[in-house]
Amino acid sequence: MSHRLQALPLLTIALLAWLSCAVSAADETSGFGKIAIPQPAKPDNASECVEPVEVMRREHMKFLLHQRDATVLEGKRDSKYSLTGCMDCHNPTQADGEVVRYPDPQHFCADCHRYASVKIDCFECHADRGLARSQQSRLIPKLDTGLVSSQTFRHQLERSGED
Amino acid sequence: MKTELDNIELRPARRRFLQGAAALATTLIVPGVFLYKSGHATDAGTRTPRWGLLIDTNAMSEADVDACVQACQREHGWHSATGSTTDAQWIRKVALSDPQSGHKRFLPMMCQHCENPPCVDVCPTGASFKRADGIVLVNKHTCIGCRYCMMACPYKARSFIHEPLQDQLPVAPRGKGTVESCTLCVHRIDRDGANAVPACAEAVNHGGRKAIVFGDLNDPDSEIVRRLREHGGTKLRADMGLNPALLYQGL
Repeated sequence: MSHRLQALPLLTIALLAWLSCAVSAADETSGFGKIAIPQPAKPDNASECVEPVEVMRREHMKFLLHQRDATVLEGKRDSKYSLTGCMDCHNPTQADGEVVRYPDPQHFCADCHRYASVKIDCFECHADRGLARSQQSRLIPKLDTGLVSSQTFRHQLERSGED
Repeated sequence: MKTELDNIELRPARRRFLQGAAALATTLIVPGVFLYKSGHATDAGTRTPRWGLLIDTNAMSEADVDACVQACQREHGWHSATGSTTDAQWIRKVALSDPQSGHKRFLPMMCQHCENPPCVDVCPTGASFKRADGIVLVNKHTCIGCRYCMMACPYKARSFIHEPLQDQLPVAPRGKGTVESCTLCVHRIDRDGANAVPACAEAVNHGGRKAIVFGDLNDPDSEIVRRLREHGGTKLRADMGLNPALLYQGL
């Protein structure tokens, strides 16, 4: 027993030395056996996202979940949160038709989700790329114009047997 | 034909009566507590629309119906992937022929956006639903792909996606394991309201001709209701009492 107790401080020192090495290695973003910190693609022209970056990092999934039900069930498409909106800014189709797809680790969403080991299935159905910039103004309603909200009527789910 | 039009005009009055009766009933059961709130606004200014289509088969050739199908494919990105009978088909071309005279007529068949949709009745998860404005949709976030709705639909309007897909369009998310059907171009309706033109209508309405009219069946001044008042319209299998929002002329 006493022999084991003597070995304990030695073990602790060894562990601390190893940990400090590991921490200094994690600061670097490249090299064998080290994981690169994600650098998700930022849009070329936009200066800010729909929310501050810190909020988007933590809350984007809640925004999208809330927005998807409002859109599918109630037809509200003027929310500032939209998956199509994310893709249009962060992963638009380039003029030459080139675009990054979700299976590519460079994809705006895949970059962080691979790092955090989060599996999403959004792109089993949804488009994983935005429209080309030239097409966006034609198809996507612009925010803050008042055009969409004035035409968006209040939907309420009808209950069966009401009529 | 006259009775269908009468139905359209009488519905608001009937609804008001029923709402009044329901309110009275709830007050009598538990005073001060309403069991449920009506989904309908009764004020004419905030009246909920009911979107529908009037399809004039007199004005449509076989090529026009083909154009409808192709326009829908382009708009939503569905196409016959494998050539199999199980491939998605949001619109079908239906040919009617009279064996005696040999006369042939073609019409586009898609989701009829019923007022009493059987696909909604049978859905175990509530994924098959009717929006307040009458559009019948599949919420693919909650669809489990059981396909009960496909069996329930008497118009064979729904399709199941068997294969993994790629390159879906932003306006039409579609994926393996879910059921889908005509959405009445809901993304255009949400954007343009009563001025929306579904892709199939856009494909066949040229110049002054309007073979497919989109509009609000609850609005007595809308073009679709004016046309129905003038010429009438046929609901497919009206005997089933589903009250479709798609009406056909010339059948």
